[in-house]
Amino acid sequence: MYTLERSPAVHRTVVSDRREPVPGIVILGLHVPRLASITLPGQFAMVVPPSGEQEATALGIYEAEGERVSLMLVVVGPRTRELAELQIGALLDLLAPLGNGFELEALGDNVALIAGGVGIASLLLPAQALAARGARLTLLYGARTAAALVDADRFAALGAKVVLATDDGTRGHAGFVTELLRALPKHAFSGIAGCGPSPMLRAVGRAAAYLDIPAQLALEETFACGVGACWGCVVPHAASSTGTPVGLIRAKRAEPPARESDRFCYARICKEGPVFWAHELRW
Amino acid sequence: MAEATQPDLAVALGGLRLSWPTLMGSGCYGSGEEYAPFIDLAALGGVVLKSVTRHPRLGNAAPRLVSTPSGLLNAIGLQNPGIDAYLENDVAKFADRPCAVIGSVAGFSVDDYAYVTERLAARDEIDAIELNISCPNVGTEGETFACDPSLAEAATRAARGVTDKTLIVKLSPNVTDIAAIARVVEAAGADALAVINTVRGMSIDVDRWTPRLGNANGGLSGPAIRPVAVLAVWEVAQAVKIPIVGQGGIETARDALEFILAGASAVGIGTGNFTDPRVPLNVVDGIRDYLAARGHATLSEIVGKANPRFAGVR
Repeated sequence: MYTLERSPAVHRTVVSDRREPVPGIVILGLHVPRLASITLPGQFAMVVPPSGEQEATALGIYEAEGERVSLMLVVVGPRTRELAELQIGALLDLLAPLGNGFELEALGDNVALIAGGVGIASLLLPAQALAARGARLTLLYGARTAAALVDADRFAALGAKVVLATDDGTRGHAGFVTELLRALPKHAFSGIAGCGPSPMLRAVGRAAAYLDIPAQLALEETFACGVGACWGCVVPHAASSTGTPVGLIRAKRAEPPARESDRFCYARICKEGPVFWAHELRW
Repeated sequence: MAEATQPDLAVALGGLRLSWPTLMGSGCYGSGEEYAPFIDLAALGGVVLKSVTRHPRLGNAAPRLVSTPSGLLNAIGLQNPGIDAYLENDVAKFADRPCAVIGSVAGFSVDDYAYVTERLAARDEIDAIELNISCPNVGTEGETFACDPSLAEAATRAARGVTDKTLIVKLSPNVTDIAAIARVVEAAGADALAVINTVRGMSIDVDRWTPRLGNANGGLSGPAIRPVAVLAVWEVAQAVKIPIVGQGGIETARDALEFILAGASAVGIGTGNFTDPRVPLNVVDGIRDYLAARGHATLSEIVGKANPRFAGVR
C-alpha cells in the first residue's frame, strides 16, 4: 500500500520546457511541486488530456528532480499529438505517481538495463538510483533505427556501459537488443531491469531465465483507468500474488495439471505492476 | 430579498436517497477506493460496485481494451472473486463510504440472481442492488437476460423476492425494443432502471487478421454511444413510471442534461472517469449552475422536459 506521503493525487503542472531529441519523440518538462520527491523509479502518470476530448494517457515518468518531472512521448495518434503540441506555459494535469516501481535493492550491484524503443523512458530514474548506490551499470538499448535512439548519453554520463542495437542496422548491433542479452554468459549480471514492448519483454524474460539472472520488467500497456478500477490491463501472473480468481494455463488438458506453475491469475498491470518479476509472469 | 438558495439536486431511487444525481458506473470505478486519492467520494451520488457472481470468475484473456474513435471497447469478462470471497474479504471495506454503495449482481441463471442478490443485499454496507442482466462479454449467457422479456422479468422478480432494498435493473441497448423490456422489468418489481449498458462491438487487426480483443467481441462505451443511450432513455421514459439512471458517454453537465431532459432522474458516469476523475464534480457543478440560471429550485423540475410523452413522475 501507498504510505500517505507517497499517495497519488491529481497534480496540476505547467509545461516548463520542451525538447524533441529526435523527430516524433518529445520530452515535456513539467513544473510541479511535491511530485518528484515522492516518485519511485518505474512509476507512471496518467495524463489528463487538456482538451477533455481524449482519454487519459499513461506515460512513464522519465525524470524527477526538485520541482520538475518530465514525460517522454512518441507521437502515434491524436492523444499523444495533443500532448506533443503543448507549448511552454501550458497547464497539464497528472494523476501520479501510480503503480509499483522497481525493487532496485533486489537487483544487486551489477545491473543490466534493457530498453526497447521509448521504454528507455522508464529506465533513467532506476539508472540514477542504482548509480547513486554505486552499482555497475550496462545499458542495452534497441530501437527501430539510429534516429529513434534517445538520450543514451544520459546513461553513459552515469557511468553505464552503453550497447546499442537497431532493427535496420544503422547503429550498433543489427537486430533485436534481446539478441545481445541472449549471447552473454550465464550470471553475467546480478540483475536485469527491462522496459519496452511486450514481445521484447517476453524475450528478455526468456533470456533472463536461460542466463539465470533475476529480472524485473516494466510492462507497457494501454490503460483505461490507470488506477486499478477497471481490470482492463491484465497480464497472466503466478497465482500466489493476489487474491484474484485462479485459472489453469493448461485447463483444457485431460489429466489434472498439478504443477504450481500452471496456476495463474490475471494481475492488473497498472496496480500490481507495472513492474513485475519476469519469473512470475505466465505470458 | 433572501439570498438565492442552491438548486436541490437530490434524487430518490425507490427508497434510496442520493445527495447528488450521479452514480459511478459498475465496472468502471472498482469499489470506489481506487479513485479516493483523486476525488472526494462524498461529492458522488453513489458508486455502483463491480459486478459479483455466484462463483469466482477468472475474466477474459487479454487484450481486454481497445480504444476506438470517441469510444472504448472492453471485454473484461466479469472477473471477480465470487460471492463467498467477496462477502468475506471485500464488503466490510465499504462501510465508511460517504456516498451510496450499490452492489452489482451478475448471473447465468434466475437462481444465480436470487442467490447472489439475497446474500449481498443482506449486508448493511450495501445500500441498494443493481441487477446486471446485460453484460455483453460473457458468451451468450450473460446478456440473454436483458434481451428476452420473459428472462428479464424472471430475474427481476427473483431478485425482488429476496430484498426490500432499492433494486435497479440495468438494461441492454442490444435489443429490438428496449421499452418493452423496461415495461416487464417495471412490472416485475424494479425500483429503477439503468439505461444503458455497453453496445456490442468489435475491432479487427487488419495486419494480423484477428479481432483485437481477447474475447473477440466486446462492449462499446464512451461518447460514441451517447446518442444511442439518449434515445434509449427517451423511449424507456415513455414506457415506465419508475426513475431512470441515464448513462452512456457522459463527460460534461450538458451531456448529462440531455439524459435528464429525455427522462432520466439521475445519470451514470463510467468511461468519463477515465478521461478525468473530476468529471462527476464538473457534471454536478454544471447542472447546478444550469438550474440556477434558469430559476429552477430542483433537478426534478426538468426531468423529461424535452420528452412530450414522458410517463414518469417528476
